[in-house]
Amino acid sequence: MISKEIVIAGAGPAGLAAAIEAAKAGAKEVLVVDLNLKPGGQLFKQIHKFFGSSAHRSGTRGIDIGNQLLTEAKEYGVEIWVNSAAVGLFHDRIISIEKGLDSGEKELVNIQAQKIILATGASENVVRFKGWTLPGIMGAGAAQTMINVNRVKPGNKVVMLGSGNVGLIVSYQLMQAGCDVVALIEAAPKIGGYGVHAAKIRRAGVPIYTSHTIIEAKGTERVSEVVIAELDRSWNPIPGTEKVLEADVVTLAAGLKPISDLVRLHDLKCVYNAAFGGWVPKHDRNMESTQPGIYVVGDTTGVEEANTALEEGRLAGVAAAERLGYLTQTDASALKDDIWERLDGLRMGPFGEKRMVAKNQILAAFPECAK
Amino acid sequence: MDSKFDDDMLVCRCEEVTVGEIKEAIAQGARDVVGVKRRTRAGMGLCQGRTCEKMVQQILCQELGISPEEAGCSSIRPPARPITFGTLAGGMKE
Amino acid sequence: MALEECGYITREELEQFGLFPSEERFKQGPVAVIECIQEIPCNPCEAACPRNAIQIGAPITTLPMLNEKLCTGCGICIAKCPGLAIFTVDKTYSGDEATVSFPYEYVPLPVKDEIVEAVNRVGEVVCKGRIIKVLNPKAYDRTPVVTVAIEKEFADEVRSMKRK
Repeated sequence: MISKEIVIAGAGPAGLAAAIEAAKAGAKEVLVVDLNLKPGGQLFKQIHKFFGSSAHRSGTRGIDIGNQLLTEAKEYGVEIWVNSAAVGLFHDRIISIEKGLDSGEKELVNIQAQKIILATGASENVVRFKGWTLPGIMGAGAAQTMINVNRVKPGNKVVMLGSGNVGLIVSYQLMQAGCDVVALIEAAPKIGGYGVHAAKIRRAGVPIYTSHTIIEAKGTERVSEVVIAELDRSWNPIPGTEKVLEADVVTLAAGLKPISDLVRLHDLKCVYNAAFGGWVPKHDRNMESTQPGIYVVGDTTGVEEANTALEEGRLAGVAAAERLGYLTQTDASALKDDIWERLDGLRMGPFGEKRMVAKNQILAAFPECAK
Repeated sequence: MDSKFDDDMLVCRCEEVTVGEIKEAIAQGARDVVGVKRRTRAGMGLCQGRTCEKMVQQILCQELGISPEEAGCSSIRPPARPITFGTLAGGMKE
Repeated sequence: MALEECGYITREELEQFGLFPSEERFKQGPVAVIECIQEIPCNPCEAACPRNAIQIGAPITTLPMLNEKLCTGCGICIAKCPGLAIFTVDKTYSGDEATVSFPYEYVPLPVKDEIVEAVNRVGEVVCKGRIIKVLNPKAYDRTPVVTVAIEKEFADEVRSMKRK
């Protein structure tokens, strides 16, 4: 059986950051597997400039951060398998990979790893309304992949559901791609994402309907009309407030949920956390799960954003390298303290506080902290 | 609230399971996501519940007045992602 | 807060947060208007200003404050703001015209002397505008900055142009 020092599932910001940090500390056999054809995860869809401090390459576009990470990973000798999905996780840290070969064929490979880091990200939630399965209705992230990765317009007139940062940013990017955003619909009485993102699409002329929802999508071959209505305080549609919008695309930005297949498969202990998108694995301040030697980072441990994913990845990379003997306890502690300080900074302010509370709940649920 | 969700609305696209069928499963005694899955196959298709699991959870919460936590989550068995028989038959590289 | 319910900032809100430059300052020439009133973890504008006129400090969720005496209205911060929330306004451009510079990340870009429809914070056309310049140097990293001349009375309202 092949053996590796560290195997990382997922080559998004968290996985790549973990790999780079571990390799930088001296780890020699670091392998990252990703089921997509290109590494980088969601970063290559993020064509906007990121927020954050200079420590997080703020003001840099996600796509450029992705390229920087790939260059760094290469520099430190990190091995990346693309088109390769982690399909199994077993006792003694054996991970099964369906490896994509150059020939286009696939083969199953079992790897014995000393440390495993799960950075599998999150998947989009859907919303059900009458007609939600009509062609033209898709996740906002899917539409973003179409325009920013595949350069294909999903249609011309878009209704966006959900005003979190994903809904606001993807609305903006759809307009940059040449689509019209007919309306942004939000069930809550307030806009969920950052005001500056909302302001961008407002001055581009997009109306935002708060306290509204989609009642029905109509169409034969694909969606052609969207019926929206105002909601009362108990979230029930108010009869008589229906409006019909003409649209050929409906994008759903109703939040994400952590992808936890491998987590559940190997019985990593989880806890339910609504703020983080559902079931998330418990972990300690090293990002180590309830299964020794298996670390969890990024959206897998609760849906946040790219900057926190990067930092959590770095944390696990440092912790794994320390356990493998590549860092002294003193050096590792200093690195980890810096990362935690930056993470705390990212979880501040009115938008960060909820995530700070959620993360503290996860940490407190970890067996060793709870004793 | 419920009136807007017709019983013939699809919830699990892979296995073509409707709201009505899920409600029927609950009436038969399903109390969580796994219970609904066993009775209706919702979440057993190609996407393995990635799309419908949360909707099944919502219907359970709505019908039984339970929390999402109580509705639970789906059980997983390897392979965690769909793989072809050809790949499986190719055997495990040692 | 209008921003949370409707998605745009009002002048009153900016004044309330002390983010709207004084009339005296406007009389002296171009100045930055920072339309950022939510505490989000972000600080590139602070480092962007060559005259240290923008202060955030720690923690990075602190709102940016403009020292209007130090600000020259050069506009470097416009393209550096990831939220595209900084503008410069010059109310001294000419006898009856003011200019507004804003970030504009759409194609096609307007060209000099083109007449465009100037829009306010909710995308409503408020007046015609004449394009004075379009800057898109490498340092702006693909965030072009457009300067439009408009009738002076609309200087506090105009924040972009209608997409072509």
